[in-house]
Amino acid sequence: MTNGTEKSGETVAAPSKDGASEGVPAVQIRGLTKRFGTQTAVAGIDLTLPAGRFIGLVGPNGAGKTTTLSMVTGLLRPDSGEVRIGGHDVWRDPVAVKSRIGVLPEGLRLFERLSGRELLGYMGRLRGLTGTETDKRADQLLDILGLSGAQYKLVVDYSTGMRKKIGLAAALLHNPEILFLDEPFEGVDPVSAQTIRGVLERYTSSGATVIFSSHVMELVESLCDWVAVIAAGRIRADGPIAEVRGDAPSLQEAFLELVGAGHRTRAGQNLDWLGGGSR
Amino acid sequence: MSAGFAPGAPGQSPSPALTPLFVRLKLALLRNGLRRSPGRAAAYVASILVGVVCAAGATTSLVLLRGVAHVDALAVLLTGFLTLGWAVMPLFFPSGDETLDPTRLVMLPLRPRPLIVALLTASLVGIGPFVTLALATGAAVAVADGTAATVVAVCAVPLVVLVCVALARAVATASIRLLTSRRGRDLAVLGGLFVALGGQVVNIAAQKLGRPDGLSVLEPVGEVLRWVPPASAMSAVADAGRGAWGRAAVGLALTVLALVLLLWWWQRMLTTLMTSPDASTLQPVEKDGGRAAKGGARGLARLLPDGRTGAVMLRTLRYAWRDPKSKMSWATSLGVGLLVPVVYAAQGNGTVYTAFVAPALLGMQMYNQFGQDTSAFWMVAATLATPRDAYRELRARALALCLVAVPYVTLVVVGTVAFLGAWSSLVEIYGLSLALLGALVATGALTSTLFPYSIPSDGNKNIGPGQASIAWFSLFGGLLAGTVLSAPLLALTLWLHLAGHHGLLWILLPVGAVYGTAMAQVGLRIAAPVVVRRVPEILTAVRKG
Repeated sequence: MTNGTEKSGETVAAPSKDGASEGVPAVQIRGLTKRFGTQTAVAGIDLTLPAGRFIGLVGPNGAGKTTTLSMVTGLLRPDSGEVRIGGHDVWRDPVAVKSRIGVLPEGLRLFERLSGRELLGYMGRLRGLTGTETDKRADQLLDILGLSGAQYKLVVDYSTGMRKKIGLAAALLHNPEILFLDEPFEGVDPVSAQTIRGVLERYTSSGATVIFSSHVMELVESLCDWVAVIAAGRIRADGPIAEVRGDAPSLQEAFLELVGAGHRTRAGQNLDWLGGGSR
Repeated sequence: MSAGFAPGAPGQSPSPALTPLFVRLKLALLRNGLRRSPGRAAAYVASILVGVVCAAGATTSLVLLRGVAHVDALAVLLTGFLTLGWAVMPLFFPSGDETLDPTRLVMLPLRPRPLIVALLTASLVGIGPFVTLALATGAAVAVADGTAATVVAVCAVPLVVLVCVALARAVATASIRLLTSRRGRDLAVLGGLFVALGGQVVNIAAQKLGRPDGLSVLEPVGEVLRWVPPASAMSAVADAGRGAWGRAAVGLALTVLALVLLLWWWQRMLTTLMTSPDASTLQPVEKDGGRAAKGGARGLARLLPDGRTGAVMLRTLRYAWRDPKSKMSWATSLGVGLLVPVVYAAQGNGTVYTAFVAPALLGMQMYNQFGQDTSAFWMVAATLATPRDAYRELRARALALCLVAVPYVTLVVVGTVAFLGAWSSLVEIYGLSLALLGALVATGALTSTLFPYSIPSDGNKNIGPGQASIAWFSLFGGLLAGTVLSAPLLALTLWLHLAGHHGLLWILLPVGAVYGTAMAQVGLRIAAPVVVRRVPEILTAVRKG
């Protein structure tokens, strides 16, 4: 992994670059493991993610992305290991951690029998905001995410994209320092994706940290300045995106090599009977 | 399938081929459904056996009742019940018959009239129409007296079956948009409740009928129903036997008219349904405005305290109304809590102690609090950092429960005491009820924390896969513990009675209220730190299924 050129120029320009490398990291993970029965989902992860970056956690399906994010955000208890967010231990100091983070998990529901507006009102008050402040922020978030027209509709009647957007609004409501998003673009149409992207870019430009998981490399390459590659429950590479990409023509290629799937794409000769004239 | 009637020239009626086609379709759907799992096939065979046995039993009893006084009213009432059953059945079992959904046929070139004939014929295939036919025949045999009556019966029985089936089809078609929508599915979850309450009504009715000369109570109802089709066809049979030709003719004519009107209504609905765009292309004009304009509800909500307490209370109350599973659970508690004292009192063997059912059932609402959230519990979990957060969360849920439970328990206790005229027991029953409610809130908070289990939001199951033992342990263990916790107050009551201090019985009310509140407080305080410690474990437990 050598230093690339074009992308690193961009990352240096990020306002919080220096602070990120010298200050307290956004997330520090040491020896994190989780087993479900006989299957090891996360097999000892050590990872340090700097603050103030747009960070992509990439990996194939079943790599352990969701399990890792669940443990990092305190929603799943690890078998062993330590997680620190902004220097605070997730399991020993939940007060400091939970107020600093916003979460949008994958595969878990929202309180769907509330309308979008009611859901935000509820979350804001649970987060300790006053009623007026909650309503003000909810108004702005609904507006900017294009949900004003559907604010009185029950979330159960929302489309996938609308659910992701209202989940994002709920995660942003208390203005967290670090935002964890599990597959925020999964099943989202291009228009909603662009909206979500715009909001996240605005959020990180103020120095906040976004950590999101995805398996769409083009998206990660265009959004993130830092990336961690996870496969089979282990970190295969992490660092500024140019560094992880190395000499590979694209992040996609580098990713396939890193997760050991590169040979499979070249294994075409085994299917040489497929296509062509002969039966 | 369209190939079957495509060859017909445009405008030509494809009806000759359509009816057998639909009957074959129905049989094929039935067969393929059974092929999917042996369990389903077994259940179907069992339901057929039960249906046949019940039909045979009922038909035989009806035939045996022939000549008994008031049997006319019974036959009429039975027909009425059958019709009611057919009318509501498609609302609660919408997915039972795929041919019931005409929107699946939208793309086919079908004309309404032959389609209706074909659908109606296909509907006559099945166990339901068979049982109806058996019962209607039994009822007709019970009331038919003489040749003329037999002739009328031969017309009346098929008419009754046809009206029933056409009614079910028309209702299904009218409500198809509703039934395929989320609102409709929500309603279907509540179906079991209506069945349970209906069963209770039937139970009371059956007991009344079981008394000597019990059939006479049917007379007034029968008098009205005898003019309502298709029961009017059944009364026409009896009228013909008595030689009341005019009444018999009117009865039969009413049923024929009803059948024609039903078919016309059904056809109109079918045409509208199959030629107008459905909800997927039409932007649904939801009742959003209603929710937005609920200034009144906001006004009431404003009375709730600010912050987490008010937000959680409001969410809990909204869920009690909007979430089908919560609504079902609340409605059962409220319904049964009222029904048990009423039923016992109505049967004449009521005691004031039946009023305890209300606090017991409403207190059980505190159980498995986090399971009621489903996996959305993560939203709560993300904000629970200190025991104080957890305490306020639990307290708010308990307060929302008490907001309904305390007035309701008061109502049931006062109502039961008033009904039985046992005013002297009011204070002790009320005091004990409040203590029991408090004890159940306390144990509910603890079991919610220690033994959470998931409640699948679809289907009729209320316990997640593999969690039945946890659920039963938590419910029965909790109920037992709640009773034990209320024991000191029970002992005090007994002592006051046995020692003859009847003048002091009034203290049971304040003591009960304070004792209940204190127990609830202690329970919440003990549970709160455990909730914070167990957040990931609770989330793992409630997200299953």
